[in-house]
Amino acid sequence: MNTIDDNDRNHLRYAEYVLGVLDADARAAVAHEVATLDEAAVAVARWQRHLASLAYEAPAQEPPAEIWQRISQSLRLEQARSRPPVLSTTRWWDNLRLWQWIGAGAIGVAAACLVVVLQRPTTPPQEQVHGISLMVSSIHQENGVAGWTATMDLQRKQIVVVPATPSPVAANRSTELWLIPQGGKPIAVGVFQFDATTTLPLSPALLSQLGPTAVLAVSVEPSGGSPTGQPTGPVIGKGNIAGAPEGKDGQPVAHAVEPTGNLDMGALAGKRDIG
Amino acid sequence: MSVSSDATPDLLNRLLQQTAAGDEKAFAQLYERSSSRLFGLCVRMLVDRREAEEVLQEAYVTAWQRASSFDPQRSSAMTWLVTLTRNKAIDRLRQHGTAHFDGDAALDGIIDDTPGPSSQAEQSEQYARLQRCLEELEPQQRRSVREAFFTGCTYHELAERTKVPLGTLKSWIRRGLLQLRACLGS
Repeated sequence: MNTIDDNDRNHLRYAEYVLGVLDADARAAVAHEVATLDEAAVAVARWQRHLASLAYEAPAQEPPAEIWQRISQSLRLEQARSRPPVLSTTRWWDNLRLWQWIGAGAIGVAAACLVVVLQRPTTPPQEQVHGISLMVSSIHQENGVAGWTATMDLQRKQIVVVPATPSPVAANRSTELWLIPQGGKPIAVGVFQFDATTTLPLSPALLSQLGPTAVLAVSVEPSGGSPTGQPTGPVIGKGNIAGAPEGKDGQPVAHAVEPTGNLDMGALAGKRDIG
Repeated sequence: MSVSSDATPDLLNRLLQQTAAGDEKAFAQLYERSSSRLFGLCVRMLVDRREAEEVLQEAYVTAWQRASSFDPQRSSAMTWLVTLTRNKAIDRLRQHGTAHFDGDAALDGIIDDTPGPSSQAEQSEQYARLQRCLEELEPQQRRSVREAFFTGCTYHELAERTKVPLGTLKSWIRRGLLQLRACLGS
């Protein structure tokens, strides 16, 4: 075999994709093929089958017992629910209308809402109020209209995405939420329904990157989410992240954030300041 | 692909399909029967144990959320889980950038060319076949394919890391892959 012919070259791309040696652009191109061409999907599946058994060369190791606890807790499985909860359940984030209202208006209003909600007679005891740590983001679309409001609850390790006025997304496409650390690559947060409230778990990796220098972005992906772990479709929304730290009076304070015009992923990663 | 003696491929496939249907008990069993394999992979790829734990957790959280995308006609549960876990590990490694890697690493030094001791216990047919085919490759081809698999590096990163010219490295891996395909068939 002295030369690599066209047929080989095509097959090689799928193998290289599975092996992970392609750079971001080439990877995205193959990912697109996999999502749209059955032949590509079959070829990639075959290479996955071939190469996955390389994993068996790494000696098996028993993970620590608490990993399963963390998995079932972050997914809120029954087993986790049957354990005594650390915090009493406050369901304020389930109030769809409240969040649609916030998302449609200025995010600064969120501060007032949080204060109001947390001060209600039904709020948990004072020490829990002090413990609550929230971040908020108003995700704006290209037309400048707020598409969604995302609230990150650091204690519950979850993010709640509430639609405000999102532009419709094709039925065979999924909207996926990304966290982009400053100067870093997008990290998948998860697929969410563009027109319904969605709660997603926040992994330790995501939690560690949350902050005012990171941004949230929404991309349109093949149904089920990006096949590559990186955005493959157009970015349709983005938002800065603002902390809701405790003010002097012990109440959370949220900052207003302004959308910036650029919806380019690369530019987002390099972004420094918030509004 | 089969795994250790206590988990047949059929059983894992069934557990993953039940997981897709929201069966939490099946998911717990799937974890029990596959997590030591995947954790071993995470530790090998990430080196740092704590990060390996986090990636393992992410992988299973995603497995629960995306189990419905598993197609038993196209893949086995273990292949699906290995692919997912490896992608999570690669995402994590790329977040670090190349700083994570030891700049002086040479191909000979990083990845032991012989399979680890535990793999001798693996009698999986697919694994044995892959090993036979790997044996037929030239040493540099074999090493660079393994290196790529466990580091998650791109061609450029691998070339930089191993101090091998990019063209040479690409040629090793590409010829290695083509030969593997010829040996493994469909």
